[in-house]
Amino acid sequence: MDIRAQVSMVFHLDKCIGCHTCSIACKNIWTDRKGAEYMWWNNVETKPGTGYPTAWEDQDKYKGGWEQQNGKGSDIRLKLHSRLGGLGNIFFNPYLPTVDDYYEPWTYDYDHLFSAPEGDDQPTARAISLITGKPMEIEAGPNWDDDYGGSPVYAENDPNLGALTEEEREQLTEMERVVFFYLPRICNHCLNPGCVGACPAGAVYKRGEDGIVLLSQEKCRAWRMCVSGCPYKKTYFNWSTGKSEKCILCYPRLESGQAPACFHSCVGRIRYLGVLLYDADRLKEAASAPAEQLVHEHRSLIQNPHHPLVIEAAKANGISEAMIQAAQHSPVYKFVKQWKLALPLHAEFRTLPMLFYVPPMLPVLAKIKDGVYDNADAASAQLGPLLSSLEQARMPIRYMASLFSAGNVDVVEDSYRKMIAVRIYMRAKMVGDVSEEEVQQALQAGGTTAEEVEAIVHLTARPTFEERFVVPPLAREVAIEQTLDPFTQKREGGFGFRRAPARGA
Amino acid sequence: MTHDLLDAKSAGAFGSLPGRRSVGIADARRVAMVLIWIVAALVGSARVALAQGGGDGETLFTQKCTACHTIGGGNLVGPDLAGVVDRRDPAWLSQWIAQPDKVLAAGDPIATQMLAEFNNVPMPNLALTEAEVSAIITYLANPGGAVTAPVVAMGVGDAAHGRALFTGASRLANGGPPCMSCHSIAGLGALGGGALGPDLTFAYNTYGGDAGVATFLNTMPTVTMNAVWARQPLTPAEQDDLRAFLQEASVQQRPPQALWQLTALSVLGTLLFMGAGHLYWRSRLGSVRKTMVQRARI
Repeated sequence: MDIRAQVSMVFHLDKCIGCHTCSIACKNIWTDRKGAEYMWWNNVETKPGTGYPTAWEDQDKYKGGWEQQNGKGSDIRLKLHSRLGGLGNIFFNPYLPTVDDYYEPWTYDYDHLFSAPEGDDQPTARAISLITGKPMEIEAGPNWDDDYGGSPVYAENDPNLGALTEEEREQLTEMERVVFFYLPRICNHCLNPGCVGACPAGAVYKRGEDGIVLLSQEKCRAWRMCVSGCPYKKTYFNWSTGKSEKCILCYPRLESGQAPACFHSCVGRIRYLGVLLYDADRLKEAASAPAEQLVHEHRSLIQNPHHPLVIEAAKANGISEAMIQAAQHSPVYKFVKQWKLALPLHAEFRTLPMLFYVPPMLPVLAKIKDGVYDNADAASAQLGPLLSSLEQARMPIRYMASLFSAGNVDVVEDSYRKMIAVRIYMRAKMVGDVSEEEVQQALQAGGTTAEEVEAIVHLTARPTFEERFVVPPLAREVAIEQTLDPFTQKREGGFGFRRAPARGA
Repeated sequence: MTHDLLDAKSAGAFGSLPGRRSVGIADARRVAMVLIWIVAALVGSARVALAQGGGDGETLFTQKCTACHTIGGGNLVGPDLAGVVDRRDPAWLSQWIAQPDKVLAAGDPIATQMLAEFNNVPMPNLALTEAEVSAIITYLANPGGAVTAPVVAMGVGDAAHGRALFTGASRLANGGPPCMSCHSIAGLGALGGGALGPDLTFAYNTYGGDAGVATFLNTMPTVTMNAVWARQPLTPAEQDDLRAFLQEASVQQRPPQALWQLTALSVLGTLLFMGAGHLYWRSRLGSVRKTMVQRARI
């Protein structure tokens, strides 16, 4: 058992209101720089939709992540290329998104509003490209398909819709039945990162003490294989410095005990951060599992931080007492391992992402009837007017399975049944219009207990700041002292580049 | 020079004698050293005697110079040397004959002008001793008659066999290395031949046609060639074949329009390859979003 610590995340999608505050917080801190204008280390997408960059989930096009080799046991290989193929394509990586697939970043000619000569019309501020510096037509943006904007183009082409029947697809966009939800995304800080596997320069690495995936600005040689290799398209190429960049999980904030900016600023308080202890010996096995078992294998990697054997192995690996304590209080451990509510995004990419999502329940279907908001038809009489059932889920379960469980419907259903049990339990408790028998049925179906439900409700609806973000003391000074004088690091580290990046070697 | 070296050596041996433990061994060494000294002295003096006695400038001239020069027979590879002693400053002449490569490298105006005049074929350093040089100059001052290129018995060569000999497909009778190991000729194999010696494509013309090439192949006058071929000379038949091959090679000159044809072909080929590449990789880096938008508009 090779126990390591990983700072992990849970996003509770039912609480996301799609306000993009997280994206703005991140933008203002990290990517408000030349060459990084188009980057959104954190972005929020509407689902169904093609997201940012366009159709990033389509690995036939982008070749991200890992795949099982045919007839070679259970070994997985990079979908992008073999070692030799990578060498052959090193000057010619054909699987990159174009600027247009992200979007051409722009600003406005604000100065014109003040300096325009007097005329009959109001002066306007034209859009100016941040790449060419010339006036441009805006054709797309990072959240261009927000709330089904341009859905005949964008939502239509969501790769996950392939899992649905023609009828189901039509229902999704039917008038008054329209349904969508938001999917905020940051780097997943995977256990088996495609970007690390694809980098020919060895510039991308996973930090030992906390598992944060970082990209060295000194070692990066601009091959851009990480951009293709990451199936989530969360590494970006800075066209000004000639280096790739990615989400750093705000490690300077974490190191000083603060939650990352996108977590801290989240309006819906959907984000949870905590440490998970996992068994690195079984990584390859878990990443190579058959698709329907991927989520199960992924969960089985995560070890109980209260178990004496795990604690012993963790200490043997140099994980500090404080880190183990943080793992014991981790909200992520509860959502992912204990309650089995949160699921990894696109487990079939086999990168073992460490950002988990609690799938959304979505509002109950209703229609305007005689000018009144009426949901009597839609909701099952048995469950009462405000509660949905799994069978009546507005977004077909197979769509959710395509997103969160590599197509395994059972895993998603288990998660949903438990959440339905929570709703029914709380309805009975708060309103009292559900019979005790129904509550017990729901609890049984959800495989949960009243105690667990209370805990879930507390962490979902009424968590304190400290319960949402259990930031471990990262003790960077201890981690670096073998190779670097911590006092030198203290003086030289910080914002900006310690050495100005330049193009070329 | 040989003497000095040996003297120094023997002196060193004697000088270290007191340090020796065994007198017997020291004695034996002393005897050996003296013997070596005597033999060396004999050889050295014999060599000097040979050079002086071989003051036979005529023989030397025939051996070393006639491949390229005549006396009163007109220019060959190099100039006609009739009256050269009167034309040139004696000091310059002897230095030139002794070390033409250094004189040329020093940028001597006469040498440079002659180089341009004679097809840029530089006179090789023949490693002549001082005595040999003076013997040749003495001979040149009074050659006693015209010396044209010595008539080497020339047969009719087989160019195809010459080519085989050049490339090494056929072995040389006396075991010499194939020419291709050091020399190249245009159109010979994809990678050409060796680059140690000069390219021989136009050697037939620059070395004065049949007579010049025949003499050269017969006597191998330059130092490098002589070192290789003195011990394993080419047979007359081989010389004929090689000469025929060299002639054939020099005749096959590229017609002027070939250059344009080649350029046009290269451009056409490049365009074809680029076109094929463009076709094959046309969907590379295509924008996903624009394709979607266009599809939706249809």
